[in-house]
Amino acid sequence: MNCPIRSQENREWLLDYSAGRLDRERTAMLERHMEACPVCARFVAEQRVVWDALSQWESPELSPDFNRRLYHKIDQVQPSSWVERVLRPLWRPMVPVAAACLLILAGVALHTPTAGLSPDTSHARVESVEPEQVERTLDDLQMLRELALTPQEHTGTTQPM
Amino acid sequence: MPQWVNEDMGATSLAFDCDAELMLRVRDGDGASFALLLDKYRVSVAHFLYRMVQDQAVAEELAQEVFLRVYKSRESYEPSAKFTTWLYRIATHLALNWLRDGKNERGQERLDDVAEDGPVREVADRTPTVEHQMVRQVKLEEVRKAVAALPDKQRAAVLMHKYEEMDYSQIAKVLSCSESAVKSLLFRAYETLRVRLAHMA
Ligand SMILES: [Zn+2]
Repeated sequence: MNCPIRSQENREWLLDYSAGRLDRERTAMLERHMEACPVCARFVAEQRVVWDALSQWESPELSPDFNRRLYHKIDQVQPSSWVERVLRPLWRPMVPVAAACLLILAGVALHTPTAGLSPDTSHARVESVEPEQVERTLDDLQMLRELALTPQEHTGTTQPM
Repeated sequence: MPQWVNEDMGATSLAFDCDAELMLRVRDGDGASFALLLDKYRVSVAHFLYRMVQDQAVAEELAQEVFLRVYKSRESYEPSAKFTTWLYRIATHLALNWLRDGKNERGQERLDDVAEDGPVREVADRTPTVEHQMVRQVKLEEVRKAVAALPDKQRAAVLMHKYEEMDYSQIAKVLSCSESAVKSLLFRAYETLRVRLAHMA
């Protein structure tokens, strides 16, 4: 076989061999080559040092409440799922209209204290936050859809190789 | 446990052996299948993210976000790729974004600093002495720093190759690049590591 390093052909065999992931037939070919090629033999020896060093590195264990916290988050997004389904086609064009309506309602409430609207401002605050939350959820879903459909645009440009 | 998770999922868990099939069941509203996928992959995803960002609290938050996004996108799921490819694409996307935003905010690489969550854990040693343990800790710290110093995409490729045992084709799909690009990433990354870790022979 040609030298994987000098010819750049099948050079991944060297990585696979060092990791113990090369099949038997290719292992035999590479070992025969390495008997006569100190460059490849040295590559494998050095790569094995790296491989063994990486093998020593363990990650910390997960928190025992990992699932509980996740399910709590899922429970929080669950109630909004029907909103997504029903309002998805309508939501985006409606956002500016809804904002304008909220402003008008707020103005009416300020100028007509006996109009029957709730004086509880915290209630109004909650209602005004909901569209933003739904908007964010839709943005997330949009990102995932784009991630699935046009991968190059995202991970391909995030970092230089 | 939320209502949508079937509490007697243990009885049905052995009936599935295909992740994509499980995910299709999640799409159809089967919470037990989601629980199975979570149990199967939460540790490997969290470990991958930990080695990417090298901060345990951040890694757990990102891992939670990965599974939250899997759940939230269940209705649009199509098994066009291996489930794990899709899963690690989400994880890698989140990690790379976090790293990019972190660098923008802090203006410099932080991974190469001292770890924020204490000493690096190592594989259990059968003959621990204090001195031996200290030497190993120093070596592990060097490994951690060497990996942290790799460019983000090279690091992602190495972690998927080494710890997730993915082949070049799957890593290419996760990173949305060609197989030859993955091989180049890996060769450059391992070359850097061979230089930095040569003294560990
Ligand atoms: Zn050679």
